[in-house]
Amino acid sequence: MQGFKLAFNYLRIGIMNEFQYRANLYIQILQTFIALATGLIGLNLVFNQVTELGGWNKAELLAVMGVFTVTGGFIRAAIQPNMERLMDEIREGTLDYALTKPADAQLLVSVREFRLWQMVDVVTGVIVMIVALSQLDWFVDFWSVLGFFSALFLGAIMIYCFWLIITSTAFWFVRVNEIANLFEGLYAAGRWPVDIYPNWLRYGLTFLVPVAFAVTVPAQALTGRLTLQTWFGALALTVTLFIVARTVWKVGVKNYSGASA
Amino acid sequence: MPSVISISKLAKHYQVPEREAGLKAAAKGLFKRTYKTVKAVDGISFEIQPGEVVGFLGPNGAGKTTTLKMLSGLLHPTSGGASVLDYEPAKRPHDYLRQITLVMGNRNQLSWDLPALDSFDLQRAIYGIPTEDFKRTRDEFIELLDLKELVQKPVRNLSLGERMKMEIVGALLHKPKILFLDEPTLGLDVTMQKRIRTFVAEYNKRYGATVLLTSHYMADVEALCKRVIVIHHGQLLFDGDLAALVEKFSAFKTVGFTLDNPATDLSQYGDVVSIDGSRVTMRVPKEKASAVTSRLLNDLAVDDLTVEAAPIEDVIESVFSVKKEAME
Amino acid sequence: MKRYFDYYTSMMKFSVMEQWQYPVANYFYMIGMLAEPVIYMVVWSAVANQQGGTVGGYTPGSLAAYYIVWTLVRQMNIAFTPYGWEWRIRQGRLSMSLLRPIHPLHEDVAFFAGWKVVMIILWIPLALALSLIFKPDLHPTLLEGVVFFVAIWMAYLIRTITLSLLGMVTFWTTRVSALFELYFAAELILSGRLVPLSLMPEAVQKAAWFFPFRWAFGYPIEVLVGNMPTNDLFIGLGMQFAWVFFGVVVVSQIWKVAIRRFSAVGG
Repeated sequence: MQGFKLAFNYLRIGIMNEFQYRANLYIQILQTFIALATGLIGLNLVFNQVTELGGWNKAELLAVMGVFTVTGGFIRAAIQPNMERLMDEIREGTLDYALTKPADAQLLVSVREFRLWQMVDVVTGVIVMIVALSQLDWFVDFWSVLGFFSALFLGAIMIYCFWLIITSTAFWFVRVNEIANLFEGLYAAGRWPVDIYPNWLRYGLTFLVPVAFAVTVPAQALTGRLTLQTWFGALALTVTLFIVARTVWKVGVKNYSGASA
Repeated sequence: MPSVISISKLAKHYQVPEREAGLKAAAKGLFKRTYKTVKAVDGISFEIQPGEVVGFLGPNGAGKTTTLKMLSGLLHPTSGGASVLDYEPAKRPHDYLRQITLVMGNRNQLSWDLPALDSFDLQRAIYGIPTEDFKRTRDEFIELLDLKELVQKPVRNLSLGERMKMEIVGALLHKPKILFLDEPTLGLDVTMQKRIRTFVAEYNKRYGATVLLTSHYMADVEALCKRVIVIHHGQLLFDGDLAALVEKFSAFKTVGFTLDNPATDLSQYGDVVSIDGSRVTMRVPKEKASAVTSRLLNDLAVDDLTVEAAPIEDVIESVFSVKKEAME
Repeated sequence: MKRYFDYYTSMMKFSVMEQWQYPVANYFYMIGMLAEPVIYMVVWSAVANQQGGTVGGYTPGSLAAYYIVWTLVRQMNIAFTPYGWEWRIRQGRLSMSLLRPIHPLHEDVAFFAGWKVVMIILWIPLALALSLIFKPDLHPTLLEGVVFFVAIWMAYLIRTITLSLLGMVTFWTTRVSALFELYFAAELILSGRLVPLSLMPEAVQKAAWFFPFRWAFGYPIEVLVGNMPTNDLFIGLGMQFAWVFFGVVVVSQIWKVAIRRFSAVGG
């Protein structure tokens, strides 16, 4: 419990820090707006030609875009900044400060940064989702709400584990920033439901980089497509990824401490 | 002889927005900004003859770098005039740029990833140096600075001092007539500083180049410059013989040593400036310095004894305080 | 003239050697860039298939060709961004460039041109892999090949010019990322980067003619992929030359003002 208290404190400091840079909020709003506008333009161009794509209609794809924006905002607010800081610290050998704190080191390195203004993306994504759902004549049904939130949660954990694994490889390979760049490119694939991609790419986006689970699966829940099978698959993959990430992290830290001593 | 560098009443003033603390002030600042004028350089004049090596001194923020930047054409003066080699630096004509160089100790021009030789070749192309001349000069400098083993190594694998030597070679390949050196020995160890000093002296002797040098290290100035120009708050305080400056204003030396028993009473030897663990720093009147050090060595178990001239800031500070009194 | 030739060859050689130090980093950088066109390609191929095989005149095969050539043109488009300008002013690198008896913009053009040589070499295997997967439908004529070769270098110059103009804004203010983001969004829509311009509404296609973006991106791709009438090939080249000429005049005028500003406040 001590660990969570510490984590909460870091979070608070991070948020206060963000308030120092208010101008960034306006820049963020503009960036979100531009990203939304180009996304909508792309969507409209497609639906000028067809009425559905890979079995998804326009409103449903708008819902996908909403989930994509929410998850992307969350990644950039909470996951990516922590992992980038961790990468830098591993490379420069300054991780010791975190490792010597009386708390679980993995928890600690995962909560030290929080980019509050990225939440603009999260809010915008929620609005997009609401608009999409209203076009779909959606009615609140307990199971699909539960399915959606649990799928979103599992997806976020998977992305976090994926990032932690990649970042932990920095313990062995010093320059991993480029791999991080790669993620940004691949995440953009989540803008569309993975069903439309060729098989090899779909598997890659499901199991190698869990974009499918982070975006498509929650969107499936929203649009009544989620099967119990997929949900359990997501759960199993989350648990597996978490164990792998934890192990890689532990071995990496051991390796790091061994090298610097 | 006509001067190569001639500046008169040179000034550089900046308008900087004034900002008060607090949100209210910040909000007000959005609509109406108040500016204040910072006089980085405020009307200085001097002349430098061909072949002179001049030390340009002053505490941080005195306006040294600003002056060097105006002389090399990076900054336009607010008022006053500068003429170097009969050019107006602010116009930065290419013919002028080909005859000068500006070396800054904290900036590097060489490619980090490639051997210095490759960067040198690029300098050749930039300055349009004829290949034969280029090779001769390059090899001469490499020889002088003893860099033969290092020019093939990527610059990132070199030490700070080795890198600085390479920087200087790169900056002089076009054999400039005027050298502006801004802290060329910053952060280097003593041997390296000495090496670079000797090289600058040798270059000056061989090619009759004019050198204007700023440094925080008294030793650099002592070894290279007969004449020093001291500025403070953008104004000229002293222009003349180095010997006169040091003699007049630096009355103390700094003696440092390591002592096993820091509890020893040291007051009979001089003023203790600081004790950091077993490391002691003392201030001793200049004429007593040698007597005190030999007594220290005889009486106590001291180690790592160093004797240094008073820091250049101290000298300049005394120049400044005296001057102020003299002016009033 | 001879001096500039010597400078350009030396600088390009230098840049090739420098970039060759990091083939892996350069590769990751490139692969990261591949995701974008692959997504567009897949989406539009799906649209084409659903419509019985073509969309806006493109089949899945020619879409594959479009987006594979896209990856090369994207590499050619890499130039010093406004963020790079901000960085070099802050680092004092611009001052150092100004002390050299050669215009700093020559330095930029030559440096990135050398880098491109490395990128093109690294690009070839990637392009082959993409071709095996997506089976592009591409049969350029010799003339198209020649025009394409000229056009990608002209595209590089045009984008260097527009980005330099934008970069020079940083001499006046440092809070300009909003402006840059707007620029990049306009470029995405009007250049043919998001989709081939023929898939855009009529109005956008007409507008795109009057902006530099398409001449720096969509046009070279269409030279190779679309079956352009010979006339249009040369009209396009003419437009590129016109933009470069016009751009050089504008850049050199603004440069003077910008440097005066720089020498007054910073340096």
